[in-house]
Amino acid sequence: MEFRPRNYRAEQESHELSRVATDSHPLCYPSLSHTEVQSTSQVHVVDDRNNDFFDPLRGTASNAEVSGKNLQDVDDIPVPELSSEAGNQLPNKESTPFRRLLMQRFPVSKMISISSMSEIIVKGGKKFEKSLTSKHLEELDDPQKFADEDKKVITRQEYVSRIHDLKDEIRHAWIAGDRVTSLKLSIKVARLLTDTSVLHFYPTLFVLATDIMDMLGNMVWERIKRKAEYSEDGNLLYFLPENFEASDICSDAKETCNNWFCKIGAVQELLPRIYLELAILPCWRFLLDQPVDSLQRLVRMTRGLADPVAFVYCHLYMAHCAQKLPSRDIGYLVTCVNDIRVLLTRIVSTDESAHGNTTENKRLLVSLMEPAIEYIMKCIFKDLSQRQVMNVLAELGLRRDKQLFGRFSCVSILVHHLLKELPTEVVCSNAVEIFHLIECNNDCSFNQHMNYRLLGFRLYESRFQVDVVNVVVDKAIQVISQYDSLDEYLKVVDAYMELVLQHLMDKHLNTILEGISERAWNKGINEDELASLQSILLKLLSFFKCLEDVFALDHFRKILDVMYGNSRIDVNMNILDLATRNGPICNPTTIQLVFEISQALYDTLDFMNVTDGASQAASLITRFVIMVDYGAEMECHLAFLVDCRGAFSSINNLKETLVHSSNCLAFKALKDTKRHMSFFKSCITFSEVTIPSIFALSRQLNLYIETAEVALVGGLVSHSDGLIDSSVSCLQSLDKTDGSRTQIDVDGIVSSIRKLCGLLVMVPGNPDLGVTYIPNTLLSLINSQPWMTPRKRSQSFCSIILLLATLSQDKLPYHADNVEILDNAIIYFGDASYGNDLVSLSKFVLQNLLSAIQQETSQAARGVMALEACNCIASSFVLNHEILPICLTLIETAKSCLAARDKYLQSTINFFDRQLPTSPVALPSCS
Amino acid sequence: MSVELKLSRNSRVYRPSEPLEGKIIIKSQSSISHHGVRITVNGSVNLQVHGGSAGIIESFYGVVKPIPIVKKTVDVKSSGKIGSGTTEIPFSLILRQQGDESLERRYETFHGADISIQYLVTVDIIRGYMHKSLSATMEFIVETDRADLPERPISPEMVIFYITQDTQRHPLLPELKSGGFRLLRVESVLLEEKIVTETSLIQTTQIADGDVCRNFTLPIHVVLPRLLTCPTILAGPFSIEFKVSIVISFQSELSKLHLKTDPRTPRLWLAMETLPLELVRTSIFAFLQFVCVFD
Repeated sequence: MEFRPRNYRAEQESHELSRVATDSHPLCYPSLSHTEVQSTSQVHVVDDRNNDFFDPLRGTASNAEVSGKNLQDVDDIPVPELSSEAGNQLPNKESTPFRRLLMQRFPVSKMISISSMSEIIVKGGKKFEKSLTSKHLEELDDPQKFADEDKKVITRQEYVSRIHDLKDEIRHAWIAGDRVTSLKLSIKVARLLTDTSVLHFYPTLFVLATDIMDMLGNMVWERIKRKAEYSEDGNLLYFLPENFEASDICSDAKETCNNWFCKIGAVQELLPRIYLELAILPCWRFLLDQPVDSLQRLVRMTRGLADPVAFVYCHLYMAHCAQKLPSRDIGYLVTCVNDIRVLLTRIVSTDESAHGNTTENKRLLVSLMEPAIEYIMKCIFKDLSQRQVMNVLAELGLRRDKQLFGRFSCVSILVHHLLKELPTEVVCSNAVEIFHLIECNNDCSFNQHMNYRLLGFRLYESRFQVDVVNVVVDKAIQVISQYDSLDEYLKVVDAYMELVLQHLMDKHLNTILEGISERAWNKGINEDELASLQSILLKLLSFFKCLEDVFALDHFRKILDVMYGNSRIDVNMNILDLATRNGPICNPTTIQLVFEISQALYDTLDFMNVTDGASQAASLITRFVIMVDYGAEMECHLAFLVDCRGAFSSINNLKETLVHSSNCLAFKALKDTKRHMSFFKSCITFSEVTIPSIFALSRQLNLYIETAEVALVGGLVSHSDGLIDSSVSCLQSLDKTDGSRTQIDVDGIVSSIRKLCGLLVMVPGNPDLGVTYIPNTLLSLINSQPWMTPRKRSQSFCSIILLLATLSQDKLPYHADNVEILDNAIIYFGDASYGNDLVSLSKFVLQNLLSAIQQETSQAARGVMALEACNCIASSFVLNHEILPICLTLIETAKSCLAARDKYLQSTINFFDRQLPTSPVALPSCS
Repeated sequence: MSVELKLSRNSRVYRPSEPLEGKIIIKSQSSISHHGVRITVNGSVNLQVHGGSAGIIESFYGVVKPIPIVKKTVDVKSSGKIGSGTTEIPFSLILRQQGDESLERRYETFHGADISIQYLVTVDIIRGYMHKSLSATMEFIVETDRADLPERPISPEMVIFYITQDTQRHPLLPELKSGGFRLLRVESVLLEEKIVTETSLIQTTQIADGDVCRNFTLPIHVVLPRLLTCPTILAGPFSIEFKVSIVISFQSELSKLHLKTDPRTPRLWLAMETLPLELVRTSIFAFLQFVCVFD
């Protein structure tokens, strides 16, 4: 057996691909469409980004900028955090978002159960109900009867299911042709809405009851429409177009419709009468061409409802029903708002002592009324032109003599929802006036500071002239400086933070931070306040590009110190993120501060259990360690790494990073000058000491190999040897420690073995142990590991053969980048026993390799293995009488296992042919 | 064997100038021979006196003789035979003919307590002495001709009134409970040179529920119930008039003790104002529009 002599340089040159310079980037847009994109529309670019994955290489820098800006425009528009006040979309026609809104805000799940109710609910029971029809008839005439009856207790669930039963009853009666019963039951359902004593349950009740009203309305509509379209015997007479007029309706249908309005008009009580007329409101179209007119009357009729909750919910239903009419009119809604204002003014101004009208009760009342107010305001301001908005404001009494707002007395909750719905331009061009409006409307219906807060958010939505912002922010800061409560202070500040930051109002920023720290230090901080504070700090952090600037702010660290819990963690994570966002961190003070923050973060999180927060924090800390750069102060850097190892001992990945960093540091020292040799040693030692504490052995293995290489380059041969030994023993203990076989990444380990073989080319052989000591150890190790599959084993054996073949060369392909290290080719030049050792070991390995191939059970895998082995052997050995048969056998094995057309097989045969100096082996044609 | 009348309109509302159309539906298993099929329209004012303001003797007399308005007979078929199975015979007759004065008085259908104005259509199939004649009767509703309606609605009369402690003769309580609008009917019948008048409640409409905001203008929108109302009639032997009353009740513990009392009796917790109301038919929709302001 004889190793094939190699001339690596010549081989490299002969295999090198020719290189040609190119003008265009292969992934760039073709130049034509490129200009098109830039010239035509920016939207195109955005779309492209949305639909397709974004390739950062695609497009030129300018193009990317355009699209980036665009995306920001799209995303950034109105995203102020209005957490609790999350808005909902207005329905186009008959969708029911207010229902969802109400159900969400006032969930039914609670089992609070005491309420006084009408008999219809309490008496329950479907059959029972029917037998009582006559009684109910009396009831219709005498509503007083049940009004003062004793209170009964029923759970919400029962109440709800009873209403559902009623709905079914109404539907069934209708289907059975008993429309009178349907109507009577519907009246009863509507009557339930008179009872507002159920308070928190009222919104749910409202949703359920109006659902029934809508159902009745639809049934009546369908019935009359059918009468208008079909003759009595079911023939289609006339197809009603969508925009039909009253004159299109036949008198019979009109008569029926009129009858319905008469019946409903005869309902004695006000509230059911209004609800039912609203339910069949669209039916006015059969009689009148201007059905909207009835709305004005209905609004005024609603004034007769004294109960504030019933009053606003009735308006809510009105706004809902009016949307079913084809023409859109908001005049009646403006009247609604004016009426609601009168009512609210009455509520907020009543004497506290009378009737237990405490502020608490008033607030409860207002909170129940709020969704209705919100919805009506939304309906008013939906798709209004600026001119229309001005008209509406005039109607609401908010504009007099061309002057908007001013010292106008309103109710703060109305101001709030008005401000929420006003178009941005109106808010901006009248910011100061709105500020006044808020200023002079301070009552218990809504906290004034929340209105200031909303104004801040609304102003932020638009980017506009600085002078107005200045005036408003000046005023706002002035107002909030009088707030004693930290909560209120934070809530308002939160809204103005972005404005202050964007317009670089450093003075205000300082005032704000000082205000916060003063209040927080005086009184401590509770959970709610913490959330606001967190939002403020996050805004601050996301605004600044550089952490140093943040730390330079007065009070910032003081404020940070009052935080605790999850908010603290969040803010700390953001600080870490900011710190590691912009390249290396060089400033020692910053490093120290960030280190302390990391420590704080580390102390609060539980790293033993993997949670999302912990793993995110771990990766942020790890990233921070990577980004730290002390420059020339390498000792400091190493000391920092030592500190980190001590401080963050539970973060596994971090230790790996620490080893990488210290190895990196060692290399840096090496490149610098020789003076740092002792420092270099310290780094290697640090790595050596750190590696064993890493949990996963496979990680250890790689790190040992990496450190060994670094040590070798630095000339520390004995360290390097020691590290290689450690890596080998690491391989040995893989079996012992990692209990479950499947967990071991065998592929990873095989590639580590290959890497190790590659490294061994450079390592001078140890004369005491013999040059083949390590490969030998590896061989027996591979054979002894039960988790090594034949495939993996053969791959490892191939690496060892290649290593041995390489070591046999007179000139090695590469060597350590250190002139003091002599490689094996020089040390053992001309040493015959050295050559013999290599040959004898490679013979042994070869045998092992062949038997590994035999052991493989899968045919396809065996074929590939045979080819791998054949390639390896053909490039390692001279193809003499000894080797040639082995190769031929391997090719035969491969042929028997793989298809003849297999590319790997064919290229191996080709390669093998080229290696044969003389007669080619008889091979099948490769057609 | 059955006879049925079916009118051309489901609503059964006809105006005097319009033809009353419909069909006679006869279902029979065998053929019937007859001496003619005849349609009769009969309209009359029926008067009766219940207890109430009338004396015992008067009420004993019971029904006063009805006052006929219209009576018309038309032969639809001369004598012949009707085959077995279902037979439909259409008919049409005009209630008021040119020169016919009987319906000039324009009485509309009305169902009251003491007075009712009713129009009936009857079919008679006259058969020989041996057989009972077959007949069926149905009520239809008469409304004034549109041509006879005033060109423009009669301009409403503005009535402004106040309810104060002076008009009520007792102090008004501070907190409102309910505000309502009552439609009352006043029927008068001439009974042997004595007019017997009875006032009854037709409809109550609540306009305010609870202690409503002061200074709000509340509309009183009342849809007049059909049949129970008709244009005001002041005829010789009888009259039908209407009244409205605004009733306001106040929050008071006392009211709970007197649940079942006559609503017309003055009470401390009630304030009331009654006004005469003249009903005039103008168009198909008749609304009463009032406004009410609590101060």
